[in-house]
Amino acid sequence: MKYFKLPDLGEGLPEAEILEWYVNEGDIVDLDQPLVSVETAKAIIEVPSPQQGKVAHLFGQPGETIHTGEPLLEFEGGDDQDSGTVVGEIPQATKGSGSSDEFIIGAAPSTRSTQALHRSSSRATPAVRALAKRLNIELSHIKGSGHDGHITPADVERAAKLEQAHGKAEPLRGVRKHMALAMIKSHAEVVPVTINEDANINAWPKGTDVTIRLIHAIAEGCKAQPSFNAWFDGESLSRRIHSNIDLGVAVDTEQGLFVPVLRDIGNRTQEDLRAGLDLLRSDVKKRTIPAKELQGSTITLSNFGTMTGRYANPIIVPPQVAILGAGVIRKEACVIENNIAIQQILPLSLSFDHRALTGGEASRFLMTIIKDLEKENT
Amino acid sequence: MKHNVCLLEAVNLALASEMRRDEEIITLGEDIGVNGGVFRATDNLRDEFGVKRVMDTPLAETMIAGLSIGMASQGLKPIAEIQFMGFIFPALEQIICHAARIRNRTRGRLSCPLVIRAPFGGGIHAPEHHSESTEALLAHIPGLKVVIPSSPARAYGLLLAAIRDPDPVIFLEPKRIYRSQQQEIDDNAIALPIGRCFTLKEGSDITLVSWGAMISETRTAAETLAESNINCEVIDVASVNPLDMETILSSVKKTGRLVIIHEAARSGGVGADISASVAENALLDLQAPIVRVTGYDTIMPYFRLENHYLPNSQDIVDAVTQTMEFV
Repeated sequence: MKYFKLPDLGEGLPEAEILEWYVNEGDIVDLDQPLVSVETAKAIIEVPSPQQGKVAHLFGQPGETIHTGEPLLEFEGGDDQDSGTVVGEIPQATKGSGSSDEFIIGAAPSTRSTQALHRSSSRATPAVRALAKRLNIELSHIKGSGHDGHITPADVERAAKLEQAHGKAEPLRGVRKHMALAMIKSHAEVVPVTINEDANINAWPKGTDVTIRLIHAIAEGCKAQPSFNAWFDGESLSRRIHSNIDLGVAVDTEQGLFVPVLRDIGNRTQEDLRAGLDLLRSDVKKRTIPAKELQGSTITLSNFGTMTGRYANPIIVPPQVAILGAGVIRKEACVIENNIAIQQILPLSLSFDHRALTGGEASRFLMTIIKDLEKENT
Repeated sequence: MKHNVCLLEAVNLALASEMRRDEEIITLGEDIGVNGGVFRATDNLRDEFGVKRVMDTPLAETMIAGLSIGMASQGLKPIAEIQFMGFIFPALEQIICHAARIRNRTRGRLSCPLVIRAPFGGGIHAPEHHSESTEALLAHIPGLKVVIPSSPARAYGLLLAAIRDPDPVIFLEPKRIYRSQQQEIDDNAIALPIGRCFTLKEGSDITLVSWGAMISETRTAAETLAESNINCEVIDVASVNPLDMETILSSVKKTGRLVIIHEAARSGGVGADISASVAENALLDLQAPIVRVTGYDTIMPYFRLENHYLPNSQDIVDAVTQTMEFV
């Protein structure tokens, strides 16, 4: 192998940002020796060497984004196996040795296949590009107001004025960019409804693990109403109800929001769940969580009870159809059998996708959760 | 049947093959009969088809063209050879004023299914008048098709298409690569389309457009550039009139960069026309200015300076590098 290309780092992540090279040009590297650390939308990953060899060239500096399949590193010597898919080379002819002459009549297949996709980049005339360069404006950040979305000189000048007055926009990267994209997708697709209700948890013994009780309650809710543990496809208008409950647990970090997945919560003991949850949280904090541990959740829990906030309208990330939010536990004066008593109250916010579920189903789902939460023990 | 042939032999193969199928085909030209042509493109044709179908003519290009036009308009299919493209000028009056317009002049009553073959281009250390590339002169004339093969297989397929075309076709053979490439081709009587480009190498970074002998230099440059991780798409225009702008434009829209390579002088060349069409139709897709690598606007020098005139693969590599580095 001559060129080592950025491999697929997990479930179709299209790009990664180079954080640090561990090798230099001219180094001899061993099989599986870490070459570089990259940050994907999900995690920081070390990319090991696919072979032993001498490094001829490194492609990309720290901070640069590289797409899956692009060359990452060149080894000295060796043949480049990637000779294209369609067209071969004509070897130099020598008398008596025949060589075939392969060519395509008209355009190459890759040309035809890119034609439909191609219009996405920013459209600007050379004069506008030159203006943007002079004013130090990134064209891809500008929405064109001209005909057919073309960027006009006025668009560039407006952007320059804005930057002058308010400073340069900071592009989102890594996990924040991923969150923004997920939220945009949710906003564009999902039809969310949020129901708020309180659970009276006065019966809980001291030291009850709130998160584990919430997880248990969600599992009970999903067992009673399996349609909440589902993926919904708005394009084909179909849904897939899952037998395993794989719970996404929102974890807030300084870098941004992570949602690692706690697998099969319906069939695990509380101790096992707590251990699994602690491991996920610590992996997230260390940024060593594998990409696959952040994918495939079927329903989500967002527990912000350790911070501030009573109710919320939690955002559903498609293809999931529901998310439960839990706020800060408070003491409240409640009417219990015609007497006023001080009770421990856990506020809940359930968002569901009204394309996939009805209000009645959501109400019953929430009732099951509350009934489970209001038990002394589970 | 498979034949291991060079470009020149592919021309001979196509001529003989089509002459066997179609008795209306007549070949004529200077030294094409007894001698078999100065490059031997018509070797053995006289022995097989006889003097009535393989005619040696006087050194009179006007007459060769006029005779051919007369035959063509009355039902024969003449294939005339102009010994070198530099000798075609006396015949241009016949070609431009009559061959190109007979169909139009007679409102379709007469047509002119004529092929004029001529070796062209430099690189063989020839004397004056033997090295020019004036394809643009002919491509400018409405009613003429101008076809230039760049490999044995394309020479075979395109010459068959030229012979079968109902209108006049100028078939220019890049003599520098007459024997430089040996290929196995099938004498299967299958023609290639005229008016279509051929994509020789698929690529994503830059489009290289060329024709004739410059294809070899272009391919060498593309191989060199691949070592620097620049992935070139190589397109053989093959037909400079009609031009297949659709293929070129769609490739440029994919790559965003274009270098045009031709041996002919730059000004008024076919490259200028391609460049103008791309600017008109794909300006916003371009990531860098279009660059032309061409011969100079001067008289083609004699053989000692010939290599200074002819673009080479290093010139192409430099132009591509410049284009790729443009920001």
